[in-house]
Amino acid sequence: MFSFTKKQEVYDISGVSIGGQPGRNPTVLFGGLFFKGEPDFSKAEEHLKTMLELSQKTGNPAIPDFFIKREEYTENIIDFIETSLPKNHPFSVDVQDPEVKLKVLSLLGEKKLLSRTIYNSIHIGITEEERELLKKCTPEMAILVAFNPKDKSPDGKIEVLENGANLLDVGLLQLTKELGIKKILVDTAALAPGDNSGAAIAAIPVVKEEYGFPSGCAIHNVVEKSKWLDSFDSARKTVDASSNINISLFGGDFSIFGPIEQAAKVFPIMAWQDILVSEYTENYFGMTPSESHPRRKLLG
Amino acid sequence: MNNNIKTTVVGSYPIKVDNSKFIQNYFSNEEIKWNSYINEAVTDMKNAGISMVSDGQTRDPFVQIFTRKLKGCRIRARTEVVDKIEYEKPITVDDQKYVKSIIPDNVGLIGVITGPFTLAKSCVDMFYRNEGNMAFDLAEALSCEAKNLQPYVDMISIDEPFFSNEMPEYGKDLIEVVTKKLTCPTRLHACGDVSAIIPNLLEMPVDILSHEFKASSNLLGEFSKYNMTKNICLGSVRSDDSRVETVDEIIVHAKKGLEIFGNKIVQLAPDCGQRMLPRSVAFEKLKNLAIAGEKING
Repeated sequence: MFSFTKKQEVYDISGVSIGGQPGRNPTVLFGGLFFKGEPDFSKAEEHLKTMLELSQKTGNPAIPDFFIKREEYTENIIDFIETSLPKNHPFSVDVQDPEVKLKVLSLLGEKKLLSRTIYNSIHIGITEEERELLKKCTPEMAILVAFNPKDKSPDGKIEVLENGANLLDVGLLQLTKELGIKKILVDTAALAPGDNSGAAIAAIPVVKEEYGFPSGCAIHNVVEKSKWLDSFDSARKTVDASSNINISLFGGDFSIFGPIEQAAKVFPIMAWQDILVSEYTENYFGMTPSESHPRRKLLG
Repeated sequence: MNNNIKTTVVGSYPIKVDNSKFIQNYFSNEEIKWNSYINEAVTDMKNAGISMVSDGQTRDPFVQIFTRKLKGCRIRARTEVVDKIEYEKPITVDDQKYVKSIIPDNVGLIGVITGPFTLAKSCVDMFYRNEGNMAFDLAEALSCEAKNLQPYVDMISIDEPFFSNEMPEYGKDLIEVVTKKLTCPTRLHACGDVSAIIPNLLEMPVDILSHEFKASSNLLGEFSKYNMTKNICLGSVRSDDSRVETVDEIIVHAKKGLEIFGNKIVQLAPDCGQRMLPRSVAFEKLKNLAIAGEKING
């Protein structure tokens, strides 16, 4: 059971609140689109609709996380964001290729979408060009990936936030400040089983107690990489969805839960878990749930 | 004329690591590999003609390399000591084994250990509230590392730059703790102007004293006032200046040292670690050092 002594930051993006003491705001759920193959926009539209309905029903905010793999997909995906998402709905862009990142940022700037953008992500691989462009095209919010190749423990994650682990000239927190990004989410960088995978969960309360920033991770990646689950095939998707409860249980604020197709499983599981957390945190710490919390929506 | 002077290094060498590769490793769940950076450093030293190389200390600055893996330490803006310091597992041994596997038999290898006093001075003490006690626990931990390192290296060098600022009354005891289990040759490196602590240095339980004789040009004269009981690693090129010393300049400097100390001069090295220099400059300095060494050896 957690309540942090450090003041907890609550950030708003287009009406979605992220962060705070456990039990206050529901876990924000990031569902990913376009991970594999060419973007299929008609399927994406269906999945989006389902996820947004689930969000309405449970009270857990839904953030579509658009994976943009190649430069040639950029315009179409951003057009899709502009036309298919409800007006002002926040979204995140998950881009790994440094060149594609530049293109995406520029286009989001041109289309005036940056106030709804969660930039996924800033990490030790940031380039000079990306830094410069982020100063001009500054997203409303950014996810910082606390991946430290030198130390995968919670302390290593703090180190990379704090001083860049001597891989960057400054820590990721200072770097983000210099870029002018005021709202940050800390992704505690889930790693494969056998590679300190539990540290991503353990780091959530550490980061929140140390800095008060909203924290979470893509813990489902650990399930994806658990090869031993291959012999329990029917259980894999259930384990994948269930893994997300660790985030809420350890005081976290958001989950990047993987492919949006999993939304039908993840939303009810997380709503259930958030209700559980809310009940004990209100009972023990007097933390009342927010108006849109699943405990209010689903228990009446 | 001494004809067996080794050319060597103090520890660090400037290698730029590729963060984009690390993050790609993270995204694709591949193992992080550091050996390529060690290889780059060692290859430069080998290609420069250095006769005794180090691993280049590419992983971290010289404090964090050790505190990262010592129980009781955690790294924030600085290393914080939050519990009793203990040795858990080998720290630099795997890197040294790797270096040993990529250097020819005629090239020696130095195991570099950051000294307990320097580590103690560099850490924020949130547990001991007593610098001496912390330094002795660090020394015990480093002693274990030195013992584990010994089978793979030709010499162990203890890096204690803080001695030039402050020599604690227990300085010798600390070094004694680190070296007590060693049978291989040992070296103590203290950069800065050490003229005020020469008597202390001469009592240290090590075989070789290593100092920045190039940048602190008064040191040769200062050491000459004492009966030299130790061998010397003569700092011969600067580590804080990008100007590359010529071969002739290095030879003149080394000959000055030889005139005063004769065969007590057993090594020529940069004044300190080369981490802060541009790589091309660091390489040129080592190259000229190696050529100068060969010429002096005849």
